[in-house]
Amino acid sequence: MKQIIALIREEQVEATKAALEKVGVRGVTFLYATGHGRQKGYVSARELAGSSLNRNMRMQLESVLPGGEQTDPGTNGAPVPADAELAFGFLPKRMIILVVYNEEVNRVVQAIVNANQTGRYGDGRIFICPMISAIRVRTGEQGNNALS
Amino acid sequence: MKMIWAVIRPESAQRVIRALDAAGIGGMTRLHVTGHGREMGIALGAVHYTEIPKEMLMIVVSDSEVAKTVTIIRTEAKTVSENTPVEGIIGDGKIFITYVEDTFAIRTAGKVTRTRSDT
Repeated sequence: MKQIIALIREEQVEATKAALEKVGVRGVTFLYATGHGRQKGYVSARELAGSSLNRNMRMQLESVLPGGEQTDPGTNGAPVPADAELAFGFLPKRMIILVVYNEEVNRVVQAIVNANQTGRYGDGRIFICPMISAIRVRTGEQGNNALS
Repeated sequence: MKMIWAVIRPESAQRVIRALDAAGIGGMTRLHVTGHGREMGIALGAVHYTEIPKEMLMIVVSDSEVAKTVTIIRTEAKTVSENTPVEGIIGDGKIFITYVEDTFAIRTAGKVTRTRSDT
């Protein structure tokens, strides 16, 4: 039994849900999380101007940038070139937690990757942790039976 | 040392926490989460809800406390109705158990080798 913890883009959540259902994953837990990876939350101005951002992130952005314009505090309000990178700090992400049988891990990881890979920074991470046991609260079933 | 992840109903969270506290298991992290189990959520007419609100408790206990902790969560988180006197009701949640290699206390920067109830 393995626990899969995936951090994904907010806008890919529905696609991920569909992909997980397709590979037969039934139980999933979702968390709202913020964070950043190696790029320290830098987002290119071009990407911010694009339509891939969700409302949540836009609102955060508007609170950071005065007047909703693409300006960087470091440049004293001067417009930022389209290919500039803006320090955004903690980016809104969705964390997905699921527990699957050992033999399902590769299939599920592949499904999450396929649903989320854009090739740009910020596609997310998948962590796989060992899980000793599971118990269904309703019936008390243990181990693999609790997942079936 | 073991880590217990319990996904339970928000309605029973307070009861579970109180019972754990009374049993001397005081340290825990509580998360508001959404999710679904093998029933894939709830369909109400044409609307299909896949993100049902739940509470997730993350508890780290020593090996000897695992059984006690699981029993308490099971007892308190299980809902009982006339139709299901023995089993609970779908949506009562799950308990997952994994192991913890090391724990460090930030205050003392020291490795934690025993939990409170061991001492």
